[in-house]
Amino acid sequence: MISLQVEDLDLLVEHVDSTNYKRTCLYLTSSSRFLPSPDDTLALDIAYTIYMKFEDLASALRIALLLDNKSIQYVKQVYTATDDLVLKKQFSYIIARHGLAMEIDDEIAADENDKEMLQEIVNNTKLSEGYLTLARDIEVMEAKSPEDIYKVHLIDGRGASSSLDSARQNLAATFVNAFVNAGFGQDKLMTAPSDSSSSGSSGNWLFKNKEHGKASAAASLGMILLWDTDSGLAQLDKYLHSTDTHVVAGALLGIGVVTCGVKNDCDPALAILMEYVNKDDSNIRIGAILGLGIAYAGSQKDELRVQLSAILGDPQATLEVLVFTAVALGLVFVGSCNEEIAQSIIFFLMERSEAELAEPIIRLLPVALGLLYLGKQESVEATAEVSKTFDEKIRKYCDVTLMSLAYAGTGNVLKVQKLLGICSQHLEKGETHQGPAVLGIALIAMSEELGAEMAVRSLERLLQYGEQNIRRAVPLALGILCISNPKVNVMDTLSRLSHDADADVSMAAIISLGLIGAGTNNARIAGMLRNLSSYYYKEAAHLFCVRIAQGLVHLGKGLLTLSPYHSDRFLLSPMALGGIVTVLHACLDMKSTILGKYHYILYIIVLAMQPRMLLTVDEDLKPLPVPVRVGQAVDVVGQAGRPKTITGFQTHTTPVLLAAGERAELATDKYIPLTSTLEGFVILKKNPEYHEE
Amino acid sequence: MPTVCIKWQKQVFPGIEIDTSQPPMVFKTQLYTLTGVPPERQKIMVKGGILKDDTDWSTLGLKDGQKLMMIGTADEIVKAPEKGPVFVEDLPEEEQAAALGHSAGLYNLGNTCYMNSTLQCLHSVPELKSALLSYSDNVRGNGVDQASHSLTVATRNTFGELDQSVRPVAPLHFLQMLRKKYPQFAQQQNNVYMQQDAEECWTQLIYTLSQTLTSEASEPAAAQMKELFGIDLVSRVHCAESGEESSEAESVYSLKCHISHDVNHLHEGLKHGLKTELEKVSPSLGRTAIYTRESRINELPRYLTVQFVRFFWKRESNQKAKILRKVDYPLELDVYDFCSDELKLKLQTPRQVLRDAESAKFGLKVEVKTSSSQNIEGSLTSAGESSSIDIDKADSSVPKKQLTGIYDLIAVLTHKGRSADSGHYVGWVKQDDGKWIEFDDDNPSIRKEEEILKLSGGGDWHMAYICLYKARVI
Repeated sequence: MISLQVEDLDLLVEHVDSTNYKRTCLYLTSSSRFLPSPDDTLALDIAYTIYMKFEDLASALRIALLLDNKSIQYVKQVYTATDDLVLKKQFSYIIARHGLAMEIDDEIAADENDKEMLQEIVNNTKLSEGYLTLARDIEVMEAKSPEDIYKVHLIDGRGASSSLDSARQNLAATFVNAFVNAGFGQDKLMTAPSDSSSSGSSGNWLFKNKEHGKASAAASLGMILLWDTDSGLAQLDKYLHSTDTHVVAGALLGIGVVTCGVKNDCDPALAILMEYVNKDDSNIRIGAILGLGIAYAGSQKDELRVQLSAILGDPQATLEVLVFTAVALGLVFVGSCNEEIAQSIIFFLMERSEAELAEPIIRLLPVALGLLYLGKQESVEATAEVSKTFDEKIRKYCDVTLMSLAYAGTGNVLKVQKLLGICSQHLEKGETHQGPAVLGIALIAMSEELGAEMAVRSLERLLQYGEQNIRRAVPLALGILCISNPKVNVMDTLSRLSHDADADVSMAAIISLGLIGAGTNNARIAGMLRNLSSYYYKEAAHLFCVRIAQGLVHLGKGLLTLSPYHSDRFLLSPMALGGIVTVLHACLDMKSTILGKYHYILYIIVLAMQPRMLLTVDEDLKPLPVPVRVGQAVDVVGQAGRPKTITGFQTHTTPVLLAAGERAELATDKYIPLTSTLEGFVILKKNPEYHEE
Repeated sequence: MPTVCIKWQKQVFPGIEIDTSQPPMVFKTQLYTLTGVPPERQKIMVKGGILKDDTDWSTLGLKDGQKLMMIGTADEIVKAPEKGPVFVEDLPEEEQAAALGHSAGLYNLGNTCYMNSTLQCLHSVPELKSALLSYSDNVRGNGVDQASHSLTVATRNTFGELDQSVRPVAPLHFLQMLRKKYPQFAQQQNNVYMQQDAEECWTQLIYTLSQTLTSEASEPAAAQMKELFGIDLVSRVHCAESGEESSEAESVYSLKCHISHDVNHLHEGLKHGLKTELEKVSPSLGRTAIYTRESRINELPRYLTVQFVRFFWKRESNQKAKILRKVDYPLELDVYDFCSDELKLKLQTPRQVLRDAESAKFGLKVEVKTSSSQNIEGSLTSAGESSSIDIDKADSSVPKKQLTGIYDLIAVLTHKGRSADSGHYVGWVKQDDGKWIEFDDDNPSIRKEEEILKLSGGGDWHMAYICLYKARVI
């Protein structure tokens, strides 16, 4: 097999047979991560061809999704290679998880009903239902209040509960409530029926938030009803009639959040939000624009390009509206390399005055531009060249951000080195581009385990020898590297940094503790955060961060993950990564974004939220409980024989939760799964050779 | 006329006919009857956005059986409550202090932590605060010098500032007055004010206040300091050799806890402190003899001050050296053992009542008693009558509560370091809600009760130097 590495990859297709094709392809796909640019696509191409040859179509589909410049074409090939409708449904589930916007056309399914059925799966319409099935099975349906998460009784004495409402603490509670009850459709603050008849339901909590806090409170309803568009839109609708502009803005953002990742033929979100995009009030505009960005992330809808680009040229709009428009464009056209949009953002950046460039929110513009080229490597170069002509205030920042986003998730060692080089420079006063460089190291290195390990070590170095602006970004970088994957060494580093003398470092570390533990219910992190909440009980800003982190750790009561990787860490969802990157770049200057009035940026994280479940369904897509073994995944690449793929397993009955680095396999021969990677929705077929004993 | 299918929330209404010759308003009224959503709040998704009231049906190209989605609710629109909540962030500073739950810290003005910790501990006595409040600026009692008067005024003002501020207070004026009255606190070394003994500061301050606050004999506040902090002792001086015995009475403001090798607990230390040996000339023997002096408490204060005698004069190093020995102290102190027989008798009834009340709290029935306690009960009822008479009497004058001899810890002044004139003093004060606050100069922080008990010494951590106990009354 090693000889293949030299040059004659093409010969492989001829020589593999049905007994060894799986091993061959596994080797090809995993080595492709370490190959230089044209060779890696070639290796994947060959693997795809081999899978197609042996009709392992689900695996072929996964490779098709990885080869994103040929995705649509290959995906269609996979669909047309079979007539089995059940198998096509499985394909649709995989595509839905990846978030690829795809139209099911007549070529894929001739029958109108079948087409509708497949499109429904691709549109993620059933995601909410499946998630709730999991929640009911695990018995976590009961709504949790922020107090259940804070667990003040375990801290004794330090709760500092005051009889008065603190706007900041209430805002924190709003976010915690939204994160914890995400997708469950019920909670104790927003949806709970109020006992007093004086105001409508949830009106009470909503108005316990101050000014822009009310926007986040209204939007939290979208998070609670996540993926359930039918009741979500209905519940949010009444807020649209409010006289308070913040509430309306929040409701619009909430509409975006609730439809995140779920598409609908009627496009209700588009229809409603478009009505508000050109309102006079800039809060409402931001709500609608950001809502569109979240709802249609990755969809590359042309209507949105037209509408949003028009706003960029609107001389009436305030700077913040324009920045959020750019971000929304970046999210909708994530990884599209759309030159036209890139041009309009570049023009917009060039026209900014010196004073405007000094605004903290401006740092999201290079991110928006970078999102367009997320993971597209060389394609960014033309734009990067143009960015060199920018005002020197933003030039380097833009350059570094573009590079780090374009190579995000590629594991490109040369770029990591270049970024490390940038971090080693001693800066003149006032330059800020080292922060994105540190984040960039993590973004690039996160693609595979080995690189991630090395990046963690490099970051430790930066922490020791780097200057203050580098140290501030390091915790966030660690947060991306281990997102929803609480590794003990990283946890310890962050725990140490959370007591750092520099407030920015400690706040970033606290948020990152939340990120690495996101959706895990990790008891150790929860304990650390509880202690931090008593340690920082007097520092309102720190306490806010602690609360957000606590909410993240208990994200979806522990049923969700923020990891952009799925299918055995093989595929990277660009929307998810785009969401995380945007939030983290905002976190580089926490004081003026999340701790200021732009806290609703946190809702962008919804793009990365996915249930970390395995739900087995039968051919009619009804949940089917079967025994599965869940254990730590073992790397079996290049091993001889039939090595075990998991270790230290336990047997459960589906639906089950899968933690980071865990893999599942069926513990029964009664059924055959239609895909080799057991994650998300998996359709099971009865095994014809199985005999009851 | 095309028929469409309307999806609303989770319901689907199939086969609704649209009369394309009529304006969309008619269609909306049709839906109103089905869903109860008023037409103005209906949002119907059609090609190119939301169905407007002036849309021409023909431009939409509706097909038979097409699915339309309608959004809208008949729910009440959320209204802002008339009275919005009040946020801590919006409040003026003074009210934020109240919301914070504890008072502010005091800035260290250069080795003044001894003074800060003393002030914080005394600040926890509400009766002292009210007594100070009634002290007026210009009336100076007889026999009170100007310095004492201004120190009292300064104390009052500092306490007032502490109550009102969220930010730490700089007790500049108080320090000035203190140094004016007691110049020893202005002692300097290398042009820097030296650290002082907090106990000295405490004693002097209490002494001054007792002078000034009692001076106005006509006021009801009279003798307040005595009642609050004063301890009456009766001592029996006995000479074993000659068999002579005499008795003397004195009034002190604190009990001393002597620390020797066999003292592990406050109780033992206090016992030691009350029993001293002294040498004096015996008139009957005509020479010096050893006398033992045993003191008993004859009257208890509302606030009991206990001082740990941790410092002794070390001649060789010429400084007050510290005894690091661990001496445990309880959160609840019972001084019954140290009382004179007379006082013990007086305490019996209130103590019984307290005990009963406590057992009642734990769900035990007071009535159910063994026969042996019959006589106690008898005495109890009679005592109860007398006490009720007492209360009646008290009602007419000042409501007076009975002491029980049981005290609860409310403040601890600790010292960290190896000698009294160096190191760091910190005050730990219990709040009304049961929380403890550590007042480390300008930085108050919340502590747990266990942490308070850990201040008993035996290491280089903060250790209790003065404990302030509050009487439990009935």
